[in-house]
Amino acid sequence: MVNTETIPGMMITETFGVVSGSTVRAKHLGKDIFAGLKNIVGGELSQYTELLQESREEAVGRMVADAMSRGANAVVNVRFATSAITAGAAELFAYGTAVKAE
Amino acid sequence: MVDVGGLLVLGIILVLIAPFLLLALIGILWTVVYPLMLIWAVLFSGKKLDQQIVNTASREASLRESLGRDPLTTIDGGYRTDITSCGVVWVGVVYGPSHWHLLIGWINNLVGGSVDIFQKVISAGRAEAMQRLRESAVANGWDDVINVRIDTSDMAPQGAQRSIKAVEVFAYGTGVKYG
Repeated sequence: MVNTETIPGMMITETFGVVSGSTVRAKHLGKDIFAGLKNIVGGELSQYTELLQESREEAVGRMVADAMSRGANAVVNVRFATSAITAGAAELFAYGTAVKAE
Repeated sequence: MVDVGGLLVLGIILVLIAPFLLLALIGILWTVVYPLMLIWAVLFSGKKLDQQIVNTASREASLRESLGRDPLTTIDGGYRTDITSCGVVWVGVVYGPSHWHLLIGWINNLVGGSVDIFQKVISAGRAEAMQRLRESAVANGWDDVINVRIDTSDMAPQGAQRSIKAVEVFAYGTGVKYG
């Protein structure tokens, strides 16, 4: 899985179209309140950093599963998109092109 | 029998009003804690931000010194041809200004011109994200990170009330290993 257009040192022999994976996750109320308090003081909100990290892992996992089900062995040109649905719940979307590389 | 029925009714009432009690408790807690936190923010948030900037810069400098170069480049295919393996690395940091900084920014907004305080906060968040990308690349055994992209997205949706005022800085790239 790379976010460049080609894989260095390998040849792309076949493409399988666009593959994607997305997820919407939220933290429980306690962590939301704690993050709200921390926001008054400013700085990093580690609860939400953690939330986005695990959601992204889930989205990427789904994208890779999609690519493997199509018979690909690599995903090139991976892009990420984020949108906030409500405060504390974020949609993470990962997409790329599934290819066979040799 | 009467006792059991009475307990059941009491239980149902308790379950019905529990969410409202919880909300009221949170509301009371918020009104008590908020002014204290705001005073804390007025006194220390500027200092905390400066410390964060210095901390990130020193970590960046020491990593650069140990590697002899900056591992991040934005070149698509990299600049070397002896790449043997590669994979995606990414890191996200949620970073927000304090409510004191928001107030300064709001006043600055009335006057117009460049709102330096927000620029400082977001730069600190971005520097931290890039430094963590370097650290995670080194931790995963990559020599370099090519095709680095940096995105910034708002954590709070438009028009939401009492929402979190923060942005997410998201940096990603392709980690490569030279043979």
